[in-house]
Amino acid sequence: MVKYTIQRIIYMFFVFMTITLMCFVLIRMLPLPALAPNDPHTAILELRREALGYNKPYLVQFWIFIKNIVTKWDWGVSEKLYIGRDVWQVFLEKLPATMIVNLYSIIWTIPVGIALGILAALKKNTWVDYTISTLTMVVISVPSFVYAFLVQYIFCFKLRWFPFLMKGGTDYFSLEMFRSIVPPVLSLSFGVIAGFCRTTRAELTEVLTSEFMLLARTKGLTKAQATVRHALRNCFVVVVPGIFGEFIGIIGGSLIIERIFSIPGVGGLTLNAINGLDYNVFMLSTCFYTAIGLVASLVVDISYGFIDPRIRMGSKK
Amino acid sequence: MKRRVTALLLASAMTVSLAACGGGAGNETTASTTAAATTAAATTAAATTAAAETTTAAAETTAAAEETTAAAETQAPAADFEVTENDPNATYTYNVATTGLASNWNPHDYEDDNSSDQMAYLVDSLYTMAFNDELHPMEDASRTPYDGYVWLPSMASGMPVDVTAEVAAEHPDWIPEGATSGYAWAFPLRENLYFDTGYHITADTFVEGAKRILDYKLQNYRSTDVYANTYGIVGAEDWFYQGQTQYVDNATLGLTVDDLTKGDDGQYVTADGYPVYVGVDYALEQTGGDTLKDYVDAYGDAYFGMGRWEELVALADENGLAPLTDDTLAMITDVTTTNPAWNETDGTSVPLYFLIAEAKPDGLVWEDTVGIYAKDDYTLVEVYKASCADFTLFYNAIQDTLLLVEPDVYDKCITQQADGTYASTYMTSVETSPSYGPYSLAEYQTEKLMHFTRNDKWYGYTDDTTYVYKDPTDGNVYRMYETTDIVMQVVSEAPTRLSMFLSGELMTYGLQAADVAQYRNSDYCYVTPGASIFFTLLTGNEEGLNAREAAGDFDTATQDVQTLLCPSFRKAMAVSFDRQAYCDEVSPSLTPGYGIFGSTIIYDPATAGYYRDTDQAKQALCDFYSVDVSQYASLDAAVDSITGYDPETAKELLADAFQEALDAGYITDADGDGISDQTICMLYALSAESDTATKRVNWLDNALKTVAVGTPFEGKIQIQNTAPLGSGSEFADAIKSGSADMCLAGWTGSAMDPYNLLQAYTWDSYSYAAEWYHPQQDMLTLTLDGEEITMSVYDWAECVTGNDVTVDGKTYNFGTNNAEQDIRVQILAGVEGRLLQTYTYIPFVNDGSLSLLSQQVYYVIEDYNPVMGRGGISYMRYNYTDAEWADYCAEQIAAHGQLQY
Repeated sequence: MVKYTIQRIIYMFFVFMTITLMCFVLIRMLPLPALAPNDPHTAILELRREALGYNKPYLVQFWIFIKNIVTKWDWGVSEKLYIGRDVWQVFLEKLPATMIVNLYSIIWTIPVGIALGILAALKKNTWVDYTISTLTMVVISVPSFVYAFLVQYIFCFKLRWFPFLMKGGTDYFSLEMFRSIVPPVLSLSFGVIAGFCRTTRAELTEVLTSEFMLLARTKGLTKAQATVRHALRNCFVVVVPGIFGEFIGIIGGSLIIERIFSIPGVGGLTLNAINGLDYNVFMLSTCFYTAIGLVASLVVDISYGFIDPRIRMGSKK
Repeated sequence: MKRRVTALLLASAMTVSLAACGGGAGNETTASTTAAATTAAATTAAATTAAAETTTAAAETTAAAEETTAAAETQAPAADFEVTENDPNATYTYNVATTGLASNWNPHDYEDDNSSDQMAYLVDSLYTMAFNDELHPMEDASRTPYDGYVWLPSMASGMPVDVTAEVAAEHPDWIPEGATSGYAWAFPLRENLYFDTGYHITADTFVEGAKRILDYKLQNYRSTDVYANTYGIVGAEDWFYQGQTQYVDNATLGLTVDDLTKGDDGQYVTADGYPVYVGVDYALEQTGGDTLKDYVDAYGDAYFGMGRWEELVALADENGLAPLTDDTLAMITDVTTTNPAWNETDGTSVPLYFLIAEAKPDGLVWEDTVGIYAKDDYTLVEVYKASCADFTLFYNAIQDTLLLVEPDVYDKCITQQADGTYASTYMTSVETSPSYGPYSLAEYQTEKLMHFTRNDKWYGYTDDTTYVYKDPTDGNVYRMYETTDIVMQVVSEAPTRLSMFLSGELMTYGLQAADVAQYRNSDYCYVTPGASIFFTLLTGNEEGLNAREAAGDFDTATQDVQTLLCPSFRKAMAVSFDRQAYCDEVSPSLTPGYGIFGSTIIYDPATAGYYRDTDQAKQALCDFYSVDVSQYASLDAAVDSITGYDPETAKELLADAFQEALDAGYITDADGDGISDQTICMLYALSAESDTATKRVNWLDNALKTVAVGTPFEGKIQIQNTAPLGSGSEFADAIKSGSADMCLAGWTGSAMDPYNLLQAYTWDSYSYAAEWYHPQQDMLTLTLDGEEITMSVYDWAECVTGNDVTVDGKTYNFGTNNAEQDIRVQILAGVEGRLLQTYTYIPFVNDGSLSLLSQQVYYVIEDYNPVMGRGGISYMRYNYTDAEWADYCAEQIAAHGQLQY
């Protein structure tokens, strides 16, 4: 297991560097906005581009970029979106808002989703199962921004239970902030609940009809004991990686939800950086998400071994 | 040099920009302009008056500068009055939604409109514009209150004093020989000017700011506004570039090879001794901001002579420049002139690939070099590169907003980066945003919100001279800036903004197309006209159209695009559209447009006179739309009769076009039924998909089909969208190249200087029609003051913008300081009429917007003034305090579920 993990980390490093290099070169290959010949600002912009090394070969630029990160943890300053500001600081400023919204969402959606899935599986082919399954299909079919507008219209405009937008400021754990976060959390939650519900129901239904469950019951276990000790553990081999996937989403954020509820998060950062050709912002967010994705996939793979001891990583046999 | 000045002028004062269709909220919107941003930032009250958003420098040297001191306009209220004080304990919060917030509002370095808009709350200016009222009347006694504006001292304690003669005696190199007025001005400052940090502002603070903005190592974006502007500070450019080599595009200098001499090393030099280079891989005006190498790499021998290209490239240095020698001259001549496809075979364009390396002297002394200094603590002297007075003087003075920074905070914000460049965090956060304007920044969260509160250190809250006005509604005298707090939040989605507005959480709401039917008749709905005209831009690129028809997938048996070249067809299109119907059905916030220039374009900033209200402009429209003025009671009545829609004439013209197209072989009528065998398949250059874009094209398509009924083109005209081309200049490129046929487009900027805007139509680098309309060859005769003068449309545009044009040995210059406004307007109208007759620009709609205003506030003046808007936040009055408003909203919502508009 240790050897496997070390191997994966080494591979991960090479994949990370490859992706980073590709992104670095590709973003810099995008043509810079043409400078208007008659605009006196053109002169100053040309000077800046020269000073920022835009005219150097890509690999030289990449080397400088990597060197500054490794030696000084210097990701550079924003050149367009947040002119003059340290992009790392900007990124750190925006991360908490995204994380807090998604964290609140996950905290209640996973248990609810799994619980509904278990209920549907245990009540298979009853009205309870039909109701849950039908609602699940409906909810999964509708994109989250539709819920966002519905939630905003019903709960914020008509009922006036919540504010329209996420509260400003950084008091993320205040009651007022929590109240303002409820609408986006609700909007994000429907789809996640439905997803976990459907996965759990499908897996648990299959496991419940397995022969080892019959054996467990014949050995004298109650239905509840058999379900909790054996069935659930088996179905979690599929469900748990999904939970890790959701945690990746916590950091990734949702562009649409962030737009609708004015959440100052990282959702649109990468997109804005590409559109604005803000190289440093783009590279930081790209590297960050690449690293998160790689680490998450490693964690998911390793988690299989803990959830189901029969799964052994890196075994030659 | 003439062209260089004009170029700078165009860029800094006019800065027209392409207007893409279909963007934003779905209306035909224009791209924002940097010049507008400059102005907005530079004017404090600016922030607060729409004036600043549209003001552009009137651009010529002003003859009035010969009058030594500026006219003593209103300096203090003209009558005794008692100010009705605002309730000091009440709060009035202006809640506003925006789709984007500034991230950097550093006056030295900001770039976009958001930055200037938001920066403006934190800054002030030497002078400000205010509505003319009983306290501040205009000199023209015939003007009624609130129908114009006056300049008032703001940070200044009085009007500027011309000190040209005095400065000329001390610094003769700063003032042109013989000039005695208009170049150097002394501005008296108030003594109670402070940043909210407590830093006392004196004349020296301005000078310190100037030193910082002109610091080469900081490469401040706005530095060019100080040194490159026509009215820039004397010596600023030398200071900025001292010790540097500046490469000047010869397109702005207009030197020919004959103007150059060959040095000992074989390299050509200018008369000043500056070496000349060939721009091989260097962005040039001649190549539209790209490099020659970009073009040659892309098109190779299809357009260029490649025989000596590689030799030339090999000689280029790391900057992409090759020294101009006989050898490289031969090479660049070979590259650009041997292939007729590049269309420069006569060789006259070769010098346009030259750059002049101007090496600036080093070791300069500020006091001897730069024309800005403190005469004493409270007197600032500025020396400009050009003579100015009146509007241009005040405009220059408000540009000082770009200079002023809090030196202590500013210096702490500058850091050197790993790559050797410098970055500044000045004005990027609450801590680094010292204010000397009416508001201070209290809270800022990137892409989320900005919260401004009253800056109690600002003198304006207790000033009884400038910042008071007489309310035309109740006759009381109030202080400006009743608003105590401004909260700007990013709200990206229109439905959210509407919900918030109807809940009393926003002060205004810009109506979307879907809302117009419900709210356009509301008492709280305001129409704000825009300066831009959107015209139906028709391609005339014959080569491009021919190429499309020659393409393999184009079925010439059933389709045609060349008919678009027929004059009658283009004329038919000009009278086929019921513009009012379009506005009603597709874009209700717009109004019909009939000329090249919009209804709010001002031709004379001093009087705020609308160009479209002049007789000359009216006559131009009557001429174009064939309205016989003699048949009407007045010229006004004649103009009012214009609708631009004449389906019967359109049908006749389509019949003529059919014959023209048959004669030209564009279409056929094989069965002789008098109906075209081909369908005219026009492509509309779409920038981005949207519901409005779809409605627009469907409407145009339907309008043409309807008009074509009963003509040889019945059922044979079709307009379809292209694939989305993007929000840049791609849509314009498609029209220029003939790969698309039409779109709605326009130009923005220059709302107070339509003369400069002419260059958008006469300069090839801007003109949509450069490929098929050549204003240099289009002769136009105008009779001015009884003298009949004939010159090209291009020359008319040049001389009306202040350049010398020589015709038959006589030199003409109809710039601001050389001609009466009547004459200039006549030229403008003449050129407008001729441009209309190209049928490339078919006027369609006038830009505009509709918005709802909260019941919490009211505008002191309902009518929109293109200079002052409706007064902005400085004139905004509140019907309710915040507390009262909350109660009112709760009551209304309990009763109706929402506020009633």
